[in-house]
Amino acid sequence: MALARWLVSRENPLTARVAVNRVWQQYFGTGLVATPEDFGTRGERPSHPELLDWLAVELMESGWDLKALHRLIVTSATYRQSSDVRPELLEVDPGNRLLARQSRLRLSAETIRDAALAAAGTLDRRVGGASVRPYLPEGATEIGFGNFVQWPQSSGPDNYRRGLYIFRQRTLPYPQLATFDAPDSVQVACRRDRSTTPLQALILLNDPVFSEAAAALGKRIVADGGPTREERIRHAFRLCLSRDPTRAEVRRLLEYQKTQRRIFAAEAGSATASDADSSAWAAVASVLLNLAEFLFRT
Amino acid sequence: MTSQTGAAPTRTAREFPFSRRGFLRDSACGLGAIALARLFVDDGLLAAAPSPLQPRDPHFAPTARNVIFLFQAGGPSQLDLLDPKPSMRQWDGRALPPSMAGDLELAFIRPDARIWASPRRFRRHGHSGTAFSDLLPHTARRADDICVVRSMTTDQINHHTGQLMMACGTPFVGHPSMGAWVTYGLGSESKDLPGFVVLNSGSGADAGSGIWSSGFLPSSYQGVPFRGTGDPVLYLSNPDGYSRASQRARLDALGDLNRMHRELSGDPEVDARIASYELAFRMQMAAPELLDFSGETRATLDAYGVEDEATSQFGRSCLLARRLVERGVRFVQIVHASWDHHAELEKGIEKESLATDKPSAALLADLRQRGLLDTTLVVWGGEFGRTPMVEDRTPSRQASRGRDHHRLAFSVWLAGGGIRSGQVVGRTDDLGLRVDEDPVDVNDLQATILHCLGLDHKRLTFRHQGRDFRLTDVRGNVMRNLLA
Repeated sequence: MALARWLVSRENPLTARVAVNRVWQQYFGTGLVATPEDFGTRGERPSHPELLDWLAVELMESGWDLKALHRLIVTSATYRQSSDVRPELLEVDPGNRLLARQSRLRLSAETIRDAALAAAGTLDRRVGGASVRPYLPEGATEIGFGNFVQWPQSSGPDNYRRGLYIFRQRTLPYPQLATFDAPDSVQVACRRDRSTTPLQALILLNDPVFSEAAAALGKRIVADGGPTREERIRHAFRLCLSRDPTRAEVRRLLEYQKTQRRIFAAEAGSATASDADSSAWAAVASVLLNLAEFLFRT
Repeated sequence: MTSQTGAAPTRTAREFPFSRRGFLRDSACGLGAIALARLFVDDGLLAAAPSPLQPRDPHFAPTARNVIFLFQAGGPSQLDLLDPKPSMRQWDGRALPPSMAGDLELAFIRPDARIWASPRRFRRHGHSGTAFSDLLPHTARRADDICVVRSMTTDQINHHTGQLMMACGTPFVGHPSMGAWVTYGLGSESKDLPGFVVLNSGSGADAGSGIWSSGFLPSSYQGVPFRGTGDPVLYLSNPDGYSRASQRARLDALGDLNRMHRELSGDPEVDARIASYELAFRMQMAAPELLDFSGETRATLDAYGVEDEATSQFGRSCLLARRLVERGVRFVQIVHASWDHHAELEKGIEKESLATDKPSAALLADLRQRGLLDTTLVVWGGEFGRTPMVEDRTPSRQASRGRDHHRLAFSVWLAGGGIRSGQVVGRTDDLGLRVDEDPVDVNDLQATILHCLGLDHKRLTFRHQGRDFRLTDVRGNVMRNLLA
């Protein structure tokens, strides 16, 4: 009890500093202290010490109200800045530690899956319940413990649950999560990497989970987008990026849809040939789900 | 884009573009770990970007550039393969004297179990006269390329922790494996393949992905398992209905839209993402060529036993390992399981030896013939050895005899890459129970492997949870007696 009291005592600023720093990190990619796990002499110095202390005091005085802290941060002018990168800022502050702009952050492993399923309209938004085992290709379990890891694929809507519900098999990390830097389930991690690797590209391009999402999004574009191809592309942009496309973007995707339809139609007997137009819309959807802008919090 | 500006470069920062601090800052601005900066330079993109797999200079001149680790999971019986004990015969069938049992840690048997002299025949081979049992006739022919270490010891007597110890330097989950440390330290020369590739053979190891994990290192250093069925790399094939032409059209459209976004946002990270897609496409092209053995001679395919059922899995892996090394892949780990012969050891060890002996020897011969053995370090070994005492789960059947886990003495072998070949290091006592001379513990072996690669195991560190960690944790000495 004495320890608990000491942890939240007004005389002890560390707990509140550490707490606000972790919340800050969620919104800006880097904490005010870049080493959230280490506030000691070997950790990094805070970039904005006064701000860190002010937020820490706000948190304590609000009665440790975390929701108020989140609101305080996301309604700030700093948070609401554009994330566009000006070349001169890149020169003087490449890591954006001084926060002259908002940071651009690649979404986390789970969120990328959720975002793709949400754009496709297939995301199952149920809260809670047992973990699920979405699709894994045949043979993928051969690397697990002693070759006898069982991965009975979930059925129906369970396959479309949020990434956070994916079962964490200790010796067989779910490939999509591991490839997008979800930490090993045995690691204590208060910060994740945000890597960019070719293996990520292969998953987003070729993993049936994402192909299926692209197919569903393609159908959705055609069904709800309107009669013209331009309108469909506009609809797809709003679904995926919450904005209208530029004229150049529309032109490029129209051209792509046509090219892909022609290639698909010419390859008789393939899975895409029978309905080349729908397949080409799915291919457009796949491009959108692979865009840097789709994968980034901008 | 580099984030090193603004901070005085530390010693580490000069040695590795990815010092801890530099890495944190890079992650912070979203740059994170990008793939292969060399590629970007080649493609004229992001010329200044630090990349996790960019080739880096070692600490000092290396004797090896690549490693092939033939991980023999389960604990091969050194007494039946590499450590002959003729004097055991006079003890055969007698209980281990209590005076010798001492502080023995055993997994399943009791310390007073009966001693079982190896039924195998050992003969000396090559100019060096190194002894191998009749289970390893092919490896024996490479005696003069090999350094056998008979004095290995480890802390662990169970598979999972033992395999982690051998692969990661500690028995704890969540630590980086050797391949991850090495690619973190040196990057990789390969431009269109991962820097650390894992090949599985046999029944799968107990520690699963733990033995090629990147642990607390950035995930770009994780081993990439090439699978035995389906795509060698997960999701390497285009989706159903996508030809090479449609995949290319997809990447062209994606690239163009990404470039438009790059213009508007000014974010150099988009360049990294564009480049990663091009690399993925190249990997899709390179992998079939990598796996296509049609350019190999009949003699080579036969030497590895690629088409023989008993040897085909390990043989394919060994041949693939050579092809990966030829293409600049830094660290190849072949995991073969399992040598865990608690029962029916004679039958089991014959099977595993048959599966691995010929391909291992072929790998050495092939590397030697191509001039690659001088720069490629090949390591053969498991997580521990087996007891001189019998484990007798069905005493009525002689064929059911096995041996228990043993951590106080076991054997590994090394070849190439700066190792003094044609020698035996270390000596065990008359029963093979304990090491008498030149002990080499697992961390010593790891320090020595890093040394061959030009890395000082005490300087290859990564700060995690408030302290600098390394592969050898707080131990390990370079074993000069192993080196040429």
